Amino acid sequence: MNNITEKVNSTVNERYFQINHKSGLNIFVIPKKHSTAFAIIGTNYGSMDRTFKTDSDADFITVPDGIAHFLEHKLFENEDGEDTFIRYARYGGNANAYTSFDKTAYLFSCTENFNENLKVLLDFVQAPYFTDASVQKEIGIIGQEIRMYDDNPGWQVFFNLLKALYIENPIQIDIAGTVESIAKITPEILYRCYNTFYNLNNMTLVVCGDVTSNQVLAVADKVLKNSKDINIERVPLDEPRQINEKHVTKNLEVAMPMITVGIKDKTPSQDIESLKRHAANEILLQMLFGNSSEFYTYAYNKRIITQNFSASAELGRNFAFVEIGGSTPDPDMLYSEIVDEINKKRILLFDKIDFERAKKVLYSSNLTSFDSTEDIANGFLRLHLLGGDLLDYPEIIASVSYEYACELFLDMYKEEYMASSIVFPNKK
Amino acid sequence: MKRINIYGGVNLSVISTDKFKTNFISVNIISPLLKETASKNSLLTDVLKRGCKSYPTLRDINIKLDELYASSISVYVKKKGEVQTISFAASMLDNLYTIDNTDLMAENLKILSELIFEPYLENGVFSTTYVESEKKQLIDRINEQINNKSTYAMNRCLEIMCNDETYSVKNSGNIADVEVITPEILFDHYKKVISDYAVEISFVGNMQPEEVAGYINKYLSGFKPRMSAMPLTDVIRKATPKPEFVEPMPVVQGKLSLGFRMGTVLTDKEYPAFALLNELFGGSPSSLLFTNVREKLSLCYYCSSIPEAHKGVMIVASGIENENKEQAEKAILEQLETVRNNKFTDEEFELAKKSIINAYKEIPDSTAGMYNWYLSRILAGLSSSPLDAAEAITKVTREEVVASAKKVGHEMTYFLKGTLKKEEQADE
Repeated sequence: MNNITEKVNSTVNERYFQINHKSGLNIFVIPKKHSTAFAIIGTNYGSMDRTFKTDSDADFITVPDGIAHFLEHKLFENEDGEDTFIRYARYGGNANAYTSFDKTAYLFSCTENFNENLKVLLDFVQAPYFTDASVQKEIGIIGQEIRMYDDNPGWQVFFNLLKALYIENPIQIDIAGTVESIAKITPEILYRCYNTFYNLNNMTLVVCGDVTSNQVLAVADKVLKNSKDINIERVPLDEPRQINEKHVTKNLEVAMPMITVGIKDKTPSQDIESLKRHAANEILLQMLFGNSSEFYTYAYNKRIITQNFSASAELGRNFAFVEIGGSTPDPDMLYSEIVDEINKKRILLFDKIDFERAKKVLYSSNLTSFDSTEDIANGFLRLHLLGGDLLDYPEIIASVSYEYACELFLDMYKEEYMASSIVFPNKK
Repeated sequence: MKRINIYGGVNLSVISTDKFKTNFISVNIISPLLKETASKNSLLTDVLKRGCKSYPTLRDINIKLDELYASSISVYVKKKGEVQTISFAASMLDNLYTIDNTDLMAENLKILSELIFEPYLENGVFSTTYVESEKKQLIDRINEQINNKSTYAMNRCLEIMCNDETYSVKNSGNIADVEVITPEILFDHYKKVISDYAVEISFVGNMQPEEVAGYINKYLSGFKPRMSAMPLTDVIRKATPKPEFVEPMPVVQGKLSLGFRMGTVLTDKEYPAFALLNELFGGSPSSLLFTNVREKLSLCYYCSSIPEAHKGVMIVASGIENENKEQAEKAILEQLETVRNNKFTDEEFELAKKSIINAYKEIPDSTAGMYNWYLSRILAGLSSSPLDAAEAITKVTREEVVASAKKVGHEMTYFLKGTLKKEEQADE
């Protein structure tokens, strides 16, 4: 039977319905009176999932780097030779998909024919069709996607930071893999990945728009095949707290150096505590490096940062870190200024007024993410896969106390957990 | 959308909707795009956001904005055809979501008004420190345009193609012109900017037109009436083929940009036929460029057509292996021939229609989307809504699309040629 429950948050004036569908799929419907309806289905499977087995497999398999992303591309192909984009287009659906470190998601938006578009989505994610010829064809396309990122300095400086921060964690492997690694992909390995991770029990559907839960349920009942819950075993990750390398550098065709400074947190638990820690990190970064901070003004006036300077907290399954940086004429000086600022605050700590203001900023900015069906559904899926709930996040932000933030700051913002990645301009 | 004339040369456009938790207001000063003033306009936006009478430093402004529930204010220049808009935009939560009695609209307008009319001055002109600091930052940003290779390749193509036209003037300005600007020169220019040019104020959010007009009259009353017409854009409709331009660069992927004259502009009654042609040719994943150049030939990861409807120029952009340049160019031009020769299928035509209609219908669900839509139309003397545009598409015939394609002319090919093999892009 399908079990439906409703949840309301009257402060942010939003609600949702949760359906535990009999097929095994977890479904969330968030009503929103917009013309654009948005749906996203995500599986708890990303580039980090390299070595795994199910109950029915004898041994663990280690798959080629980039296969989760490759699989995302290939799922769009169908047995009758028709591309899934064309199926959506028939109903005016605007479709896309993405793969991250820890999830793969397929999505569409539409202003008409919602039921038909949803049927396309649920059909094709249940119907893999991989052949040698179609795998070969994709190598050319993804090869160019990889090349594009090879030349993207922002991407390169970020991935080099991950390599500096992490020792064991496969987060440091490029999501799309390499031209060499994707050459090893075969239909057989794709099917094994698909059969392991595209089980409906491992997936979540989030719908946001002027849509009812009965409407979604009717399509789900018609299209979803019952999925037997299987146990997925991943090789346990033993990531030490310490960093891998202090500084990593690279030369690319850029006008000015770019630096990203990372601070590594302990491996997160997948629960509310890790979300609270994440919110606290966002508040800390706003106080330390936000555009109303002392540091920002000082560094901007000194021209050791430019307008693209930013700081953000990252959280996913098995990783949490913060990154601070941007382009700068003098990356070494910016690095030492960031370290100095942190060390100074380790002694003086924060002004309580600054803390309350930073918290208000985070709380208010979070509210604006409820203005588009796409942002809501994406945010909902992300928090759900992290063990949280988008409607509870405002309260999580509110629950971060000054003492909690200071304690986290003293535990995590230490030089021993910091690493940097720099991209320098090519020598002329 | 309701338009209200505040007084001579100052108009307000209001889109009232209760869909969003945020309200958005933008004050746009409409300047012609000119070589003599583009750099000054660009630098002016940077200097004005550094400080004003009540908030003399960047940090003072940002602290105030934090306190206003993370309101955000941006000041920037944008190029549309041969028009350069100078915009002062504020985005804020609706008062419904504040917990005190702060009137966020009033508070934001007070800051906008000060930024525009009461800038921070020293000795009657802009502060030398601010001007010199922002000159350096602006020059850094101009130099950094090389960092994003795909945007760089598109802009270079248009710049070279329109070399003899005003359109080739860069929105951000050019280094030689920025270097010679003094606080006095900039202040003289500023006085002209706020008194001479037409002003278009746009509001999207939860307020009725009269109410918005009331706020403007109360808090943003500094503009004097002016006699100013919308600046015009020179349009060249027929392509004059120019020699190919190859620019070698030490990157791995080649970036191909093909420049076209559209033969049609936004104000033409045939524009809907062009818009549909563009969608069919290269505007979506069901377009001819995507299904052929990417999916059938595996030549690239992205390949799409991007029109500039004010100037009537279009770019087809793609990232490819260097040795595939001739093949890719040929394949792209073949897709245009397919349309010209009426060789596309009825289904391709119908899918393009559905795709663009859906895109138009999604616009009202985004504050930024609505703002950009109407400002673009107003600059062209139009007022049609996205739904009007969707309606117009339903009436376009195959023959009209073919006729529109016959007006499109390929004028030049720009190729950013990668000179690196992947192995050479080594870490230090």
